[in-house]
Amino acid sequence: MEKLLNISSGPHVRDRWSTRFIMLIVSASLMPAAVLGIAFHGIHSLFVILASVASAVGTEFIFDKITHRPDTWKDGSAIVTGLLLALTLSPNSKLYLPILGSVFAILVVKCFFGGLGRNFLNPALAARCFLLISFGSDMTDFSVKNGVDAVSSATPTADLLAGKAVNVTRMFLGNTNGIIGTSVIALLIGGLFLWAMDIIHGQICFSVLIGFALFVGLFGGQGFDPRFILAHICGGGVVMGAFFMATDYTTSPVSKLGQLIYGILIGVLGGLFRLFGSAADSFSYSIIIANLFTPLIDMYIIPKPFAYRRKAIEARQALAEAGIESRTEEKKTFLGRIPKPVIALAVITLVSGLALSGVYTMTKDTIDEQKRIAKAMSYKAVCPGAEEFEFPGEVEAWITENGGAVYGTDFGRCYINEAVIGKDAAGDTAGYVVSVTTADGNDGNISLSVGVDEDGVVNGIAFTELNETPGMGMLCGEPAFMGQFEGAAVDRFELLKGGGADEEYEIDAISGSTVTSSAVVNAVNAGLDFINNVMKGGE
Amino acid sequence: MNGSFRGGVHPPDMKSLSRDLPLQEFLAKGDMVFPLSQHIGKPAKAVVKKNDPVLAGQLIAEADGFVSANVYSSCSGKVKAVEKHRTISGQMLECIIIENDGEYTQADTYDTRRDVDGMTVEEITAAVKDAGIVGLGGAGFPTHVKLMPKDSAAIRYVIVNGAECEPYITCNDQLMRSNADEIVEGTAIVLELFPNAEAVIAIEDNKPEAVAAMQQAVTKARNARISVRALHTKYPQGGERSLITAIAGIDFPVASLPADVGCIVDNVGTVYAIQRAVVYGEPLFKHVMTLTGEAVSHPGNYIIRDGTCVAELVEASGGVSDQLKKVLAGGPMMGFALTSLDVPVVKTTNAITMLAADPVEEAEKEMTACLHCGRCTTVCPQGLLPQMMADASEINDLDRYENKLYGLDCIACGSCTYICPAKRPLTQIFKQTKAEILAIKRAAAGGK
Repeated sequence: MEKLLNISSGPHVRDRWSTRFIMLIVSASLMPAAVLGIAFHGIHSLFVILASVASAVGTEFIFDKITHRPDTWKDGSAIVTGLLLALTLSPNSKLYLPILGSVFAILVVKCFFGGLGRNFLNPALAARCFLLISFGSDMTDFSVKNGVDAVSSATPTADLLAGKAVNVTRMFLGNTNGIIGTSVIALLIGGLFLWAMDIIHGQICFSVLIGFALFVGLFGGQGFDPRFILAHICGGGVVMGAFFMATDYTTSPVSKLGQLIYGILIGVLGGLFRLFGSAADSFSYSIIIANLFTPLIDMYIIPKPFAYRRKAIEARQALAEAGIESRTEEKKTFLGRIPKPVIALAVITLVSGLALSGVYTMTKDTIDEQKRIAKAMSYKAVCPGAEEFEFPGEVEAWITENGGAVYGTDFGRCYINEAVIGKDAAGDTAGYVVSVTTADGNDGNISLSVGVDEDGVVNGIAFTELNETPGMGMLCGEPAFMGQFEGAAVDRFELLKGGGADEEYEIDAISGSTVTSSAVVNAVNAGLDFINNVMKGGE
Repeated sequence: MNGSFRGGVHPPDMKSLSRDLPLQEFLAKGDMVFPLSQHIGKPAKAVVKKNDPVLAGQLIAEADGFVSANVYSSCSGKVKAVEKHRTISGQMLECIIIENDGEYTQADTYDTRRDVDGMTVEEITAAVKDAGIVGLGGAGFPTHVKLMPKDSAAIRYVIVNGAECEPYITCNDQLMRSNADEIVEGTAIVLELFPNAEAVIAIEDNKPEAVAAMQQAVTKARNARISVRALHTKYPQGGERSLITAIAGIDFPVASLPADVGCIVDNVGTVYAIQRAVVYGEPLFKHVMTLTGEAVSHPGNYIIRDGTCVAELVEASGGVSDQLKKVLAGGPMMGFALTSLDVPVVKTTNAITMLAADPVEEAEKEMTACLHCGRCTTVCPQGLLPQMMADASEINDLDRYENKLYGLDCIACGSCTYICPAKRPLTQIFKQTKAEILAIKRAAAGGK
């Protein structure tokens, strides 16, 4: 036995699963979503995915080399991060988005905080939020590329929030506008596979879904209508979040109870943001916020070993009463099944949730009042000759009947809110005003009022709701753009994307904000059309 | 009471290498080495000196105090030396070295049955104590101490541990198949000490032959207080605590003993030794042991004499392959690696496992940072949080480790290390941290 024997501490046998194997399984479980995403959204999605994965792995590789750390880029976790990020991007993403996002995810969120297992936020989601904040319009460009023109159209979730009917079956399959990983069925296959393989914790993914469904059911205004709830679950990254993002090991709690609380927190926050927030893709934020609660949850919810749980202690007490002396005293007396901080945490969550929805409800009237005043002021602005406004009965009846539907066929998704006739001091007609809302804005709805005088000359337009990208879409609210409409005696305006408008009916688009400009022009045209065909036609 | 415990892992059992090989006696020709400490407690005191002639079954070292155990020679010959020799744990310990004459002349034939029925509790425990019996499952706790708890009437269960959950090891399987009647008789003898107890012979359900043999022996013995239970095959089912959870349905802190919750757990090998000692007056100088592993040419289940040199046994069995990487005393989960084969088999050596591949070496190459995947938490049979314990240990927060995370309740079963995909040496960290905390406590107690 001259040979040197290996010596080490036991155990001397190891399970075959390794970190890399788990990462590969997770990557594999994302493949159905990636493949369907490419199939539905086109080959550019593949480039987005490749760019994201390559830059994620590359960033970690370079970081390892520069800092002389062990080769952690080989463990496969960067692949998962890259894939997850890519799947949450728009299929139209310019390639700088996945690259910048992956670098941010790996370098800032992961490596700077100590690498694998040390990050306090989910890297892919943190990167997505970073991109959403920094490159809002590019991130939410879900328009369907159709030849040269971009046909703007909203995601199903945006439609759902606008109160419109959506096709749940299509959402389930994923053949809709939205992110690359939009196929619910593919994500479910991957997610349930991971759950069956015991890689993700059921306590998290199912409590996220249940918390979300309950919240949407309770506060969504449509009760527990399964189609409504399903439509909400199928949209806005809820399934992706529940199975692939919330379940991230490092940023979710250790204990089962903690995982349940964390999951429900995500579900409730997600529902809250979805129903009462402004953006349709707010689910990312709810997970990121819950990530921040994870250390707190882990600090206070530490499950006791089996021997120290109430059941075991009671069983031993029963034995002692039956005549056995317990040789050792229990280390600690039982304090209560749920530690106080947990109750506090739950109460804080509940209270803040209720407070938020309470604030919304309480301020709803005030906000409505403010909107009414803004609208009244806008009427005055676009119909300066009027002393008071009259609500013609037949127009109101028309709106009651048709106001909820898209107006006309060639104005995009415009809705007529209200229409009034301005009367001058003598009681004669001074002009017509229509309030129009278009759902085609880059960042949500745009509402405006269009005023026309007795002779059909446009007095001007005034915005009552405009939340576009600052410095870009928001420029529509500047006189330089709005002024183009004033004084034109036309029935219909036309948008020029290249500039150089010289005719009365021509409007120069805001450079870089074609979507917003086009939505505004469409809304104005819808208003003019309404005045000419419904209001005047009704006289 | 569902026949299992929470947590646990399923390492490949590797028992097919030796499970069907019957027990064979191995008689070494070379010198025999008897460490004075083969048990938990104070080392025994040598009662022979150099050049004294000895017989097999002769007392050569005597228990020093209550928690200690006698040591008997397993061969005949003469004492060569009483000096330090390398032992199976790697330490140099005081040993009695006997020059083996190869005759194996015994001090007694140990084949005359004594009248067991008339024996008192004191006589039984004295016989066990005299025979130098210790826990043969691996721990080596003196059995007579275990059989004398403060309140014998409070013992509800005598659990005879035939689970043999360690991978590779099969000697107890074979012992149960071939000596079922003796084990049942030994169990009945132990039951004599505990008037209110029932005995459960617990066997993992991957040993159907042993279960059947024991069942048959129990039926034959017509003792209503003894039953056989087939348990889930899951590591560490054969751990004392896991068995008590599975059979008595009770969890208890590491600071307590099984007797505190009305249980006595003894290995089948120990119970067999009790039967030999009480019925035939035979002291403990031989026991069953498995020689196995991919690197050993001819695995086997042996009745091995204490003091046998591991190298001689391996040589005689047919040698090892060139691929030999690692030799373990015990199985791969709780066994420990040997530095040399020139060490003697002791009472608690239940296996020599010779591995052709070292998974630890491979795991070290694959090690990554902790993923916080929670697998260790899922498998911990004690319900601990290994990942948090490792974090606390890393930042040296010993207070959190001990009082918040109950880290001292770790039984070092190795399940967390086995399952960890990041290949972190968790059990090793916990053993070290526990030693550190205990050392600090001892220092504090000594300082007062």
